[in-house]
Amino acid sequence: MQISNVKELNKIKKECLATQKEHPKKVLVCCGTGCIANGALKIVDSVRDGLAKRKLKDVSVEILKETGCHGFCELGPLVIIEPQETFYTKVKPKHVDDILDKSFLKNEVIEPLLFTNPIDGSKITKYNDISFFKHQQRIALRNLGKIAPHEIREYIGVDGYQALAKVLFKMSPDEIVDEISNSGLRGRGGGGFSTGRKWKICKNIKADKHYVICNGDEGDPGAFMDRSIMEGDPHGVLEGMMIAAYAIGAKEGYIYVREEYPLAVRHLEKAILDCERSGLLGENILGSDFSFTIKIARGAGAFVCGESSALMKSVAGEVGEPRAKYIRSVVKGLYDQPTVLNNVETLVNVPTIIRNGADWYKSIGTPKSTGTKVFSLVGKVRNTGLIEVPMGITLREIIYDIGGGILDDRPFKAVQTGGPSGGCIPEAMLDLPVDFDSLTEVGSMMGSGGLIVMDDKTCMVDVAKYFLAFLVEESCGKCTPCREGLYQLHKLLEKICAGKGEMSDIEKMERLSENVIIGSLCGLGKSGPNPLMSTLKYFKDEYIAHIKDKKCPAGVCPELITYKILDNCTGCMACIPACGYDAITGKKKEIHVIAQDKCTKCGACYAVCNFEAILVS
Amino acid sequence: MKHNFENLHTIFDNHPKSQESLIAILQDIQKEYQYLPCEALEETSKFLDVPLSTVFSVSTFYNSFSLTAKGEKIIKVCTGTACHIRGAKLLQEQLENHLHIKAGETTEDMKFTLEVVACVGACAMAPVVVVDDKYHGSVKVSKVKKLLKAK
Amino acid sequence: MIHITINGKVVQAQEGEMLLTVIRREQIDIPTLCHHEAVEPSGACRLCMVEITKPEWDGWCDYVTSCLYPAADGLIVNTHAPKVNELRSSILDLYLARHPKSPEIRQLAAEYGVLKTQFEEIVDGNNCILCGICTRICDTMGFHAISMVGRGHGKEVAPPLNMAPEACVGCLSCAKNCPTNYIEYNMSNGRLTIWEKDFEMIACKECGKTTVTKEFAEYLSKNRDIPYDYFEKCDECHRKELATTMGRISNWDREARS
Repeated sequence: MQISNVKELNKIKKECLATQKEHPKKVLVCCGTGCIANGALKIVDSVRDGLAKRKLKDVSVEILKETGCHGFCELGPLVIIEPQETFYTKVKPKHVDDILDKSFLKNEVIEPLLFTNPIDGSKITKYNDISFFKHQQRIALRNLGKIAPHEIREYIGVDGYQALAKVLFKMSPDEIVDEISNSGLRGRGGGGFSTGRKWKICKNIKADKHYVICNGDEGDPGAFMDRSIMEGDPHGVLEGMMIAAYAIGAKEGYIYVREEYPLAVRHLEKAILDCERSGLLGENILGSDFSFTIKIARGAGAFVCGESSALMKSVAGEVGEPRAKYIRSVVKGLYDQPTVLNNVETLVNVPTIIRNGADWYKSIGTPKSTGTKVFSLVGKVRNTGLIEVPMGITLREIIYDIGGGILDDRPFKAVQTGGPSGGCIPEAMLDLPVDFDSLTEVGSMMGSGGLIVMDDKTCMVDVAKYFLAFLVEESCGKCTPCREGLYQLHKLLEKICAGKGEMSDIEKMERLSENVIIGSLCGLGKSGPNPLMSTLKYFKDEYIAHIKDKKCPAGVCPELITYKILDNCTGCMACIPACGYDAITGKKKEIHVIAQDKCTKCGACYAVCNFEAILVS
Repeated sequence: MKHNFENLHTIFDNHPKSQESLIAILQDIQKEYQYLPCEALEETSKFLDVPLSTVFSVSTFYNSFSLTAKGEKIIKVCTGTACHIRGAKLLQEQLENHLHIKAGETTEDMKFTLEVVACVGACAMAPVVVVDDKYHGSVKVSKVKKLLKAK
Repeated sequence: MIHITINGKVVQAQEGEMLLTVIRREQIDIPTLCHHEAVEPSGACRLCMVEITKPEWDGWCDYVTSCLYPAADGLIVNTHAPKVNELRSSILDLYLARHPKSPEIRQLAAEYGVLKTQFEEIVDGNNCILCGICTRICDTMGFHAISMVGRGHGKEVAPPLNMAPEACVGCLSCAKNCPTNYIEYNMSNGRLTIWEKDFEMIACKECGKTTVTKEFAEYLSKNRDIPYDYFEKCDECHRKELATTMGRISNWDREARS
């Protein structure tokens, strides 16, 4: 397939639309990492076999689509029947015949596979009627779950590469930069810097070469939006990069993607190959004088490589140690050349902004944080998954309207945003609008978009300890405040969680945190104490409980809790083998007993008990 | 451990001869041998004309590289935030107890390697355990034993 | 030439010159542990941080490592602002926990009021302060024999594969420039051992004292045009020889004049 000019691009688009009209009925199987883990590929095989059996083999390519992630991974594998938008969850191969015969061929609905509303137990048929999807506005995720990401034709069929054609023949680089600036688009990787301004600075620097790098090194634990976008809409990312490259005058681009995301790497490789073969990457793209190539650099497991100068060193094959940045990487970046580094989500927004205009984009969100933001809503919330919402929505709306509230109806305690650089936000601030500036004001940050919901069973001191442990592990070790300071903060938190803390430790941690923030070389250290500082600010009573009362109110810290078996124990014996330390004894149908001297407080018994007969105190 | 290092040259042939290829080459070597054998690091240094000390720095800086041989089956417990608050630590402890090794170690019979990883990005199915690149979501304590037998 | 203000005094500086150079030229004492004239600054120890501001910054200040911050006209620098002193004492407190026994660290910490660390000390472990002077010098000299290994708190300086480094010539530049003398080596019986590599030293032809390792002499004669036999005499005997030579020259001069 050759696409050497706009005419050829439009011809393919027309063909795609015609095929769609001819085959409106479709079976969409979600093939994101989550659904594949739950067995989606077996469903794909069963559907393909099923179509063959029903003499539909010739058109199975048009009917069966392996799509990207819908974001509702917990309920996978997900199957959607179009055009009715019937949404089936937890589909198994044995259900496929029924789905094809009843739902696909006869428009009937298979009740047991429908989504159950966790609030009232009712069944919901249509995708967009589910509260998880209903409140979303999908721009960055526009193609996820709709198209087969590994087929370039599919992308072209949904206006793919139209924005590229528009910029190449109807806009000057300055006009592109202005359009993106006007849209108010800010970096989705966490920093929130104006994308248009970044492009403008880079474009105006005279140099031998300019580079565009797409940052797909999504390292924040608890965040997976970039993975899903790269897997589910790789061409959207490539088109965003091409537009950026044309605007700043770059001929070479890199996508830095985590090796832990094999499916994303595969889909991006395929997308790049398809573009190279058809002429959308290479020399004189679409017959213009714009030439551009893209290489993939796979990250090798270093969180610090999310930092721009470390990332660029890693691309060059070096150790990912950040350098002191009094000259920004947009001026002197990869190989000391001016470099635009944009995050995956930022870039995937670009083609739609070009197609629909800055004013359209600006009309969404808030004046200072325009557009939408993708979040991974996870933790102790009923509906977990990937969501995209307009900026300015409140945390309460996200957690209760989309997320369906807290798991098992427990009380809400906090929501963590911004990953290891962010903070924990308490219940009193649930009505906070979610935008770049509001989150920073309360001591957290937008970050890349992880929203981790915590209930009363989550210990905030333990959460702070968790993040510090993560950062100690991930610190590159170059500068002293980060390497030694975070290490000592973690030691102090360990001490407190072990019941050996003193009140003076709080002051010690506060003072050290401030110096780590001022003194560290890069963003990792400069924001590293945030999870500690924010939990100290909003949940100081929990720290005091650990230090003064030697108690962990959430029942998490092993040294401060005990496990006891209550009288309602049925003697089912489930907990006995679960205990790895032979601490539980008891006979069938008799109340079991935990030997306290053997108990390590690992919580295995609590996790397997079906009768709530184990008390943590 | 004895290896056939002829494959190394097939790996080298796929990459341009510049330091930019270093990480990618090491990733390919790790994939081929499940770890980075010393000889392979020396060959890489020669092929790229990059000092061995630099190759060593890079291979010890990044988490996904290992300098020791791994077991037949690699079990990774995700310890991302979502997994952490949904009980990843307990799963880790259970696996450590069943295998009689600590995270980061390999059983003596070279059958299992247990690792903890920062976040595999499958947070909506927390807690997650990855066995030989296959993701297992919403893992319960009672299912841990089964995981060890999973293919 | 540009002008900057350091601690209230207006001083001249070259555009683009690093602040630390200007500060030291003015004989102002600020501590550093990772700075070495022979190598590029790295900004690792953070002790040379200073407070900077400009009149147009409306009272806003920034804290930067002076070793990596280029002087710019009109910049106002405070090398001992309260926050800077507080930061230095906090960092030195951390250093003291890292290397509690080092006399060099203890003295520096005492200057900033830290006599004992309030943090958990590393007693038997890796006390290297990871300033990276040794690895940077080794790279600059072109040997690349040692490098930083691992990352984070467990990072260490080591030869590749933790084996005697093939590339090491035993020049001792690493050990002799280590700010805490942490790099161990042994020189006895005409041999040098460093990084577990054993070297034969050249003995002075005159007095038998050792000079440098054979490998280092070979390297210097091959790459730096210093004749190999230069190292077959020790510094002292070179000096003795110099006196004899100078004496001979003056004798010739005298003879020539008379």
